[in-house]
Amino acid sequence: MGSEGQQLSASVVILLLVLFFGGTMLMSILISKKKENADGYMTAGNNIGFGISAASMTATWIWASSMYASATSGYTYGISGPIHYGLWGALMILFIYPFGRRIRAVAPRAHTLAEVMYARHGRSSQLMLAGSNVVGSLISLTSNFIAGGALVAMLSPFTFTQGILVMAAGVLLYTLWSGFRASVLTDFAQVMAMLGAVVVIIPVVFFAAGGPDMFEAGATNLTPQQSNFFSSEAFLHQGAPYIAAVLAYAIGNQTIAQRLFAVREDLIKPTFITATIGYGATVIGIGMLGVMALYLGLEPVGGDTNNLIPQLATTYLGPILLCVFFIMIIGSLSSTADSDLSALSSIMMADVYGQNVAGRKKADPKTMLLVGRVTMIVATGAALYFASGQMNILDLLVFVGALWGALVFPVIASFYWGKVTNAAFTVGTLAAMAVFIPVRFEMLPDNLLVNLGVDVLSVIGIGVILGLMAFGFFGLRTAKWVGGISIVVSAPFVIGFLHDYHVLSGSLVAYSVSTLVCYLMSFRNSKNFDFALIDKRVGDFDPEEDQKTDDTAPTH
Amino acid sequence: MTTLTLTAYVLVWPAIVAAVLFFIARGFLKEWREARQEGRRII
Repeated sequence: MGSEGQQLSASVVILLLVLFFGGTMLMSILISKKKENADGYMTAGNNIGFGISAASMTATWIWASSMYASATSGYTYGISGPIHYGLWGALMILFIYPFGRRIRAVAPRAHTLAEVMYARHGRSSQLMLAGSNVVGSLISLTSNFIAGGALVAMLSPFTFTQGILVMAAGVLLYTLWSGFRASVLTDFAQVMAMLGAVVVIIPVVFFAAGGPDMFEAGATNLTPQQSNFFSSEAFLHQGAPYIAAVLAYAIGNQTIAQRLFAVREDLIKPTFITATIGYGATVIGIGMLGVMALYLGLEPVGGDTNNLIPQLATTYLGPILLCVFFIMIIGSLSSTADSDLSALSSIMMADVYGQNVAGRKKADPKTMLLVGRVTMIVATGAALYFASGQMNILDLLVFVGALWGALVFPVIASFYWGKVTNAAFTVGTLAAMAVFIPVRFEMLPDNLLVNLGVDVLSVIGIGVILGLMAFGFFGLRTAKWVGGISIVVSAPFVIGFLHDYHVLSGSLVAYSVSTLVCYLMSFRNSKNFDFALIDKRVGDFDPEEDQKTDDTAPTH
Repeated sequence: MTTLTLTAYVLVWPAIVAAVLFFIARGFLKEWREARQEGRRII
């Protein structure tokens, strides 16, 4: 890559890394306390303001891979490609916010979503959610280290291995002592750098690459589908599987849940809306670089579309803006990696140690902090191991994504419907996974009856997804109408056709099967769960005196 | 899409990002000032 354009010298890269990680380390030191408390380490006292929480939510959701993937989508599917990547990714944040308000209302002092599931149902539900969160965060951590190593190898004389080691050490050092508090505060600085870079880099590359003239000169490089804003190809291959994943990724991601429990309750709405717009505009904007590459007829080095953004940067940016670009990518990967470390430590502290090893009443906050910090070190080591071997850990995301899809209805229903039982939750999720695997990996016999079954379940899945989205904002009555109408309208188009799209139909059957099984196992239940019990069962781990001392600590 | 529309389509995103950046920075500064006045940590 570097041979195609300019590279940064070793001394410049070292200076940038020292400035970036030195700055974040300094911020972390400024807010550190001699005696951190366990609740602060996980959720910062459930009282974060709008500026930090909106910045943190935006920074966490934008990871290096999302920038590369959006540009790839623009390059592959043309002008609508970045929309079909970034818009649906942004809606993942927006659509979880009404559910988030409900979750905060029933569990105002929780630390993880899995912890609330333990209070609502019991161990199996909790561990399924926590397990999927752990694998998801580990995958994300590994992917971010790989992106950092690849960037260093492309733009500097240093190697990939040196790159991942520096990234891992830098992120771990500033997150280790203060945990979530350090993660969200540094997210603010990282989002300023990252979004500021986006504001400058996109117009600069656009005009340096020829400006509006490139659209006339390069129009012949696009196929009719690529130049169509309403491309069905872009929708079916990129957009539709992402729409199916909107609720799944939001429910399954502890980094979002953690911020949901950390932000001041009355600020949930503005925080989520700002993060939705911030994420969407940033990622779609970066995706425009892929569209420009397509118009310019650029061939990605080595055939790898992940090289497109660095290629454009090294070709069209001067030395100073190339440094800004470097910081933008480092900022995106660090902000997500520190959130993953905080998420992993919270799960091990609250769900494993707090609920399952010591028990909530006997859990010692000091031991919890130790568990959290050891978790961060072990997770960093594991992610480094996966990253250094360039292991294709992203393949696991297929299973984790499906598990999150299968969990969506049982988790959401558990917060609103008192009849849902632990058995219904567990069996519904496992049944969905059992159906997902053969559909996704084409293991089913290809005959009319089986294909029809997959298509019918997919249609129900569409109804479930759209119904749940409507439910969050408009309530049950509207949700039933939206779900029902979606099923009726989509059936003629989907039946006989969708089973050939294995990624999409796999996701849809995961939704429908878990919903059907969970509903059928619950609706006859005569007992109604008392949601007030959740607040009694989930709460702070630190003694009240420590919380008060913490609140009146000196200002920085 | 015309050339003008495509240009606007590409350049509108950094403009929206700039607006979001402004609101987040303004929110942060306001909270930082309040925390200082009340003698507590911002986080």
